[in-house]
Amino acid sequence: MSKIIAIARKDIKIRFSGKTELLFFLFLPLIFTLLLSGVLFGGGVNKIVMVVVDEDNSDISGKLVSLLQSSEAVAPSVLAQEKAQETFDNRDAAAILIIPSGMESSLKAGQTVSLDFTLDPSNNNGLAVQQEVQKAIGQISRSLAVANASTREAEQIQPFTDATQRQAYYDQSLATGQQMFDTAPVRIVITQPENAAEIQSQKETQAAQASAGQLIIWVFIPLLGTSELMAYERVWGTLRRLVTTPTRKPTFLLGTITGQLSSGLVQMLMLVVIGVVLLKVPWGQNPLALLLLLISFGLASVAMGTMLGTFTRTPSQANGLSISLGMVMGLLGGCMFPLEMFPPAVANVAKILPTTWAMMGMTQLTMYNAGLLQILPYAAVLLGFSVVFFIVGIWRFRYE
Amino acid sequence: MKKILQIGWKDLRVIFRDRAALILMLLAPFAMTVGMGLVTGALSSSGGGLSQVPVVVVNLDQSTLGNALVEVLKSPELSKLLVVEENNDVTAARALLDADQTAAVVIIPVGFTASVIPQDGQAISADAQIEIYKNPSRTISTGVVQSIVESFLNEVETGRIGGQVAVAQLLASGLVPQQQAVQVGMQIGTRLANERGNLQTLILNTRQASVSEAPSFLMYIAPGFALLFLMYTVSLGGKTLLTERQEGTLTRLMTTPTGPSQVLVGKMAGTYMLGLAQMTILITASALLLGLRWGDPLAMVILLLTTVAAATGWGMLLAAFSRTPGQVSSIGMAMTLLFGLVGGSFFGGVMPGVIGYIGMLTPNYWGQKGFNTLANGGNMQDLLPVYAATLVMAAILLVISIFIFRRKGLLQK
Repeated sequence: MSKIIAIARKDIKIRFSGKTELLFFLFLPLIFTLLLSGVLFGGGVNKIVMVVVDEDNSDISGKLVSLLQSSEAVAPSVLAQEKAQETFDNRDAAAILIIPSGMESSLKAGQTVSLDFTLDPSNNNGLAVQQEVQKAIGQISRSLAVANASTREAEQIQPFTDATQRQAYYDQSLATGQQMFDTAPVRIVITQPENAAEIQSQKETQAAQASAGQLIIWVFIPLLGTSELMAYERVWGTLRRLVTTPTRKPTFLLGTITGQLSSGLVQMLMLVVIGVVLLKVPWGQNPLALLLLLISFGLASVAMGTMLGTFTRTPSQANGLSISLGMVMGLLGGCMFPLEMFPPAVANVAKILPTTWAMMGMTQLTMYNAGLLQILPYAAVLLGFSVVFFIVGIWRFRYE
Repeated sequence: MKKILQIGWKDLRVIFRDRAALILMLLAPFAMTVGMGLVTGALSSSGGGLSQVPVVVVNLDQSTLGNALVEVLKSPELSKLLVVEENNDVTAARALLDADQTAAVVIIPVGFTASVIPQDGQAISADAQIEIYKNPSRTISTGVVQSIVESFLNEVETGRIGGQVAVAQLLASGLVPQQQAVQVGMQIGTRLANERGNLQTLILNTRQASVSEAPSFLMYIAPGFALLFLMYTVSLGGKTLLTERQEGTLTRLMTTPTGPSQVLVGKMAGTYMLGLAQMTILITASALLLGLRWGDPLAMVILLLTTVAAATGWGMLLAAFSRTPGQVSSIGMAMTLLFGLVGGSFFGGVMPGVIGYIGMLTPNYWGQKGFNTLANGGNMQDLLPVYAATLVMAAILLVISIFIFRRKGLLQK
């Protein structure tokens, strides 16, 4: 046991021998989490971005924009025509809506108005935006639609004597319609599972996504870096020297794993605390479930690093592979973008990655207040990954 | 000049022989581009973004409006966006959502139609509400489903209130006598119900951008990741200077008839050539393997030359401030990631708001802006501001670096 602790302590000392390690341990994860959660500078919005050109600048167009801004799915930016087109062309927005000048006056005169809506055919998000816009314009124009219909019915029975009489009838219908809409019964109710966390807004969901996603990426990459540690010892011959001491292969590996896992766990707990304190992410509802998930994710990561260490020759090779694999697996595991936005086939294939299971488990924790029982399947899969990676790692492990 | 090029060429060869460096310089950006292509759907024919959102509908109403809502949800226009499954069992449907098998369950209660439309002259029954049981981990998907249902309800409500207002107004103006009110009301109500979708006074005139207007998302993200890892490459270039000093080869070089300025410029040239080689390989590979077309070739070549110059400036500045090669590696990687984040490289675009302004200090921002302009058919003239910004950045950073190198006496004989 003392040997294992000694090896673990030595590895931790090596890792934190330079001050710059703190950059990756805490500083960068913190900056990335805060920026992507939208806490710093309001950046990194997870909603679908659309652009609006408001040429009318009227009360009605303002209401339309406000309705879109209150949406849970889209984030509208009101821009001038040229800038909006440039944003859309650059693929920074899924759709562009143009509110023409004179819209309000035309609507009030009982005329129908068309809004130009262009969507990106290569991105299905445009269809989602279309539904949001359709809903907003429905709400904006319903009283006007009622006034139009009412005036038309009257005209069919007896034409108006002049435009003034028609306008008065229209205005009266509009007022009655608005009043009736205001007192209309609510016909929809939104519910969610009883055990769901009290997360309501898209902003809170985004914070939870950023907190979990960045935790996984920033812990996964250094734990994959176990491979670098192993390559380093091999290249410098310290592993060969270890053979001359009464230390068996499993003892060495266990020591290395313990050191890496301990520092990984400390880092994860720090990032969890940051998530709770700064982003109000409900991480701590079920501490036991959280701990189980963090340990199994840490084990899967360090096991993968151990396995990777047996495939790489030099520390720099291991370092490069750890960073590359970590970033790609983080991306495909839903740590940068929500899994719900992935094409279904890709989301299914991504389930072969430990990062995906870690992300799904953490989503259960932060969104559903999942308890130990609900977290077990995710932890089990991660532990399964650990076993497979460790077996391959031990099988291929060589001192030289 | 010959000596400068020789020093630069030597650095280029040394780094290109290092397989580990090649992993981060070439493999990582390409793998990230492909990964991004997969998750955004840019590599598939079905397109990216939200699609095939699983929705379960429980229609307990089984009457006019309940059936109409199911029809709307299953309409061909929404077939790309939603995958709708009907289920008669509320408990089973909720269980599907609890197991994360679906994004939302839409429950249309018994008597929903009767609560909106009077049946056989009867007064409307108590209000029955449609329930959307939503999956908290899929907020965007559930938001869209909610919008579709609300749009439908809005149309229903507009028809209902439209009928009531029309009758009330006709009665008030004396156009219809009181005794005919019910009959006229039924007629208007039926007509407006049938015209549900046509009552809108605001119409969405939807069109899809033509293919030429919409270049592949990969056109933005491929240069994004290339620029991200360019920053790693230039830090690697700066690192060679400190490594040579640490290993003593720099001192040996100084004993030859090579001036300190030649060594320094040679090192800068090496870093510059390295960055240029990396970007050229990545851009060529993305053209050949992913079929990306980069537009005006001359404009792109100048963009590469100026952007890499700006990146080289940062690489040299980092080397000038650092004391050991290890420090350059660590801070270089941190710079790579931070510049990538604020410069928009991770997203293939410019970040919004304040981050976007901070990003202007990075070559990533300008390079990305330039490549996006090219992807949208821009030419050399459109890229002039990008060329100017990157050249100014390069000049300032290189002058500061040289000043610091001299002050630290790094290259004294």
